[in-house]
Amino acid sequence: MEYDEKGVSIVPLDFKKEIFKEARKDFRYDEYVLGCLNCGVCTGGCPPHRFFDFSPRIVLQNLKTKDPELIWTMMDEYIWACFQCFTCAMICPFLNNPGGAIAILREIAVRRGFESARKVLKPYSRVLLKLTAYGNQLSPDMIQPDFFPDWGPDISYASADLKVKRKAIPMPTLQITNLSWDVSPEAMKELYEIFDESGVFKIIEAVDPSLYEIIMDIVEDVRSS
Amino acid sequence: MEIRNRLNLANVGSDYIHAAGRKLENMHDHLLELESKGEVKVMHINSENRAKDALTLFGWKKLIPTNKIWHHKSCGQCGNIPGYPVSLLWLMNQFGLEYIDERNQTSCTAWNYHGSATSNPVGLASVAARNWHRAYELGYFPVNHCATTFGDYKEMRNLLVENKELRDEVKRIMHKIGRDLVIPEYIIHYSEWVHVMRFEIAKIKKYDLGHVTVTVHPACHTYKMIPEDCIYDKDIYAGKRTAVSTGVALALGAKVADYSTWYDCCGFGFRHILTERETSRSFVMDRKIKPMVREANSDVCLTQDTGCTTTLDKNQWIGKAMGYTEQVPVMADVMFAALVCGADPYKIVQLQWHTTDWRPLCEKIGIDWKKSEEGYNAYLEELKAGGKPQNLYEYK
Repeated sequence: MEYDEKGVSIVPLDFKKEIFKEARKDFRYDEYVLGCLNCGVCTGGCPPHRFFDFSPRIVLQNLKTKDPELIWTMMDEYIWACFQCFTCAMICPFLNNPGGAIAILREIAVRRGFESARKVLKPYSRVLLKLTAYGNQLSPDMIQPDFFPDWGPDISYASADLKVKRKAIPMPTLQITNLSWDVSPEAMKELYEIFDESGVFKIIEAVDPSLYEIIMDIVEDVRSS
Repeated sequence: MEIRNRLNLANVGSDYIHAAGRKLENMHDHLLELESKGEVKVMHINSENRAKDALTLFGWKKLIPTNKIWHHKSCGQCGNIPGYPVSLLWLMNQFGLEYIDERNQTSCTAWNYHGSATSNPVGLASVAARNWHRAYELGYFPVNHCATTFGDYKEMRNLLVENKELRDEVKRIMHKIGRDLVIPEYIIHYSEWVHVMRFEIAKIKKYDLGHVTVTVHPACHTYKMIPEDCIYDKDIYAGKRTAVSTGVALALGAKVADYSTWYDCCGFGFRHILTERETSRSFVMDRKIKPMVREANSDVCLTQDTGCTTTLDKNQWIGKAMGYTEQVPVMADVMFAALVCGADPYKIVQLQWHTTDWRPLCEKIGIDWKKSEEGYNAYLEELKAGGKPQNLYEYK
């Protein structure tokens, strides 16, 4: 996001129009954004609304105005407050899906490598690396006391003697410490192909070029194995 | 309607006619229509699956396979709550059921999508189709352990049924990896297996639960994503809430207590649990644990998903710093069921990985956790000395 010295957005209107046009082009948009009575049921049930300046009703109302300026105001941090729980979608009397519409806007922010998206997702890079390079998202050796001190003193149990404790889990697929389960190389290679063809690798390149380089090194190693 | 996504990798459009909005369509019927036209292949439930009936939100019948299951594992469960999948497989062993747990499975990638948006419908649907096809070629029916996988795969199934261009794009990618688009007749969550098996499970229970009060945290992605494809039962909360988890707790003889914020999420937020943890922590204590303890005097919180179990369990300790005194052990419905049926708290239910104290619950039920702990520690020493692991199945 670009601002002048008074904090006013200096992003050209044409660019904002382009962003809205991109959202409306998504094949899910017309299913997610229907009529809105402004009843506020979605916001009343929205969990993050209790903790953030965030309202799915506002999201719907802004989209319904078709005003690129208003929609642009949500592309910064606003859309990242959503928990993606879909409470709003379940309870909307008009069958709108504000959570789905937010997913569309987030996809645009990431695809275009917006600075706000890069900033929000920076602490997420370790998870992205695991998932895209190895095929599952969370590994037992990620649960370290220094990373999760707020989970209490017992969390150190999860990292001590990890190898033998994982071996004691009576599922052979889980007897590994650096992945949730031991993903076979053939499954990983198929996943890489999917990420190539669907553009997932390109998205990561846009939002985190240095992470993309690291992932590609691993991908090349696995592909040539 | 001609729609092209920004990457120009997919040319996705919709030619589907909506009568009353997507949520009121029975996708099972539409899937079979597409099959009859030769447009898609469908993975059907067969007699070997020994399916049981259940009813969904609008009273539509859903068949839940109980046998010949392909386990679609969960990243967070396998990484952080290993007793979750182990308890499920252990229960299946008690009934002599056939299943496959294997390495040739990828994550659904949907936790990542809902946290970071670094995917798109073509990517998500292709990952789903890849894992479905793997189950199909083995002749087993996929059962999803994670609620986010369940929600995502239901959504991808619907999008694939509704959009020919998405189907064509996914077919193209599947052919490129030597696979085909085969859509399961039903998308199944493990909690649905537990639900339809609840009376069988209750027959093998080892403890009386008449004095144990349970609160249930229903997972958002189980019943809020594609809500019409989730089990409801008129005898459980008068059919006004999803029946899974509550059903098995009642069948086991526990008291299920209501609390005012049952509908709230857990605070996981997909992104927030990793990058804005103060939000998750506050949500857990204010909106879930406090009401469960103060309103329901709960002995245990039963969950039905990966993220919820982690978030609700791990964030109670830090609450003490802000003056919260409420604590309640957290475990999945299937872990609780296995525990009550005599599964070892350490070797099978693997409660030692949980951070909120679960020992008082075991004592209330009458389970000797100390004996179990001794046995487990001795087992670890055996393994350290080069002993062979005792597994639930032999990996081929």
